[in-house]
Amino acid sequence: MSLNWMGLLAAFATFLSIWLGHVGVRKLEAAAPALWVPASLAAAAGLTLEAGALFTHSLYLSGVFGIVGMTLLFDALEFYRQHRRVAHGHAPANPRNPRHARLLAEHPAATTINWLEREPTGHPVKLETLPAHPEQV
Amino acid sequence: MNFFGVGLGLATLLIIGLGFVWVIRGEYYFGYLWWPYVLGAGLVAIGVSLMVPWAWGSALLGAAGASLIWGATELKEQAVRGEIGWYPFNPKRKPQPPFIEIIRRWPAPHL
Repeated sequence: MSLNWMGLLAAFATFLSIWLGHVGVRKLEAAAPALWVPASLAAAAGLTLEAGALFTHSLYLSGVFGIVGMTLLFDALEFYRQHRRVAHGHAPANPRNPRHARLLAEHPAATTINWLEREPTGHPVKLETLPAHPEQV
Repeated sequence: MNFFGVGLGLATLLIIGLGFVWVIRGEYYFGYLWWPYVLGAGLVAIGVSLMVPWAWGSALLGAAGASLIWGATELKEQAVRGEIGWYPFNPKRKPQPPFIEIIRRWPAPHL
């Protein structure tokens, strides 16, 4: 029986895309002074990959380009959603980034603390009673 | 023109979007400690995708498998989000996964 590698390729492309959309967007958004730069780059890369997916004769390449390209297009929006998360304190702000420094000054909920960097306790906890860093527990 | 990739990209975006829904629901009703089983289900889905002769079937199963693996890495953070009030917290006792004591000793992966 011959194996069909399409699924494995699609899985790698999907995982890479999710990683880019999570970790990549998070890191770039925290570093970029202006969001339109990484957002435009992601949109341009996404459109290029989708064009590549349309014009290649290889089913494998078309699949990988299609998956990574489509998620890059979504990532272009995700930069702005991440900016809002930082404003709400749901993602840590980078005080060295002037855009984040403004968020820290203008939004009371904005913080440099990553509230998610801790182990679940199994019961509700009040944010204000938590230590800033779990290692302080 | 080859529409396979663009179609697969759209379908994968939908699969990833559904991933957010099942991670939130799954953590609420079952808790995050089921993560090794979700990870295993993702690996099985990718393994089975190798044996599906149809390109679409294989690709969708592979993408769904990768999404399950990502979901397994997201469950712990979702549990924390519920506990700190960013999402509803389920106070009811959650069903315990088999081998829970072993699972508790493993660090739950996250991206």
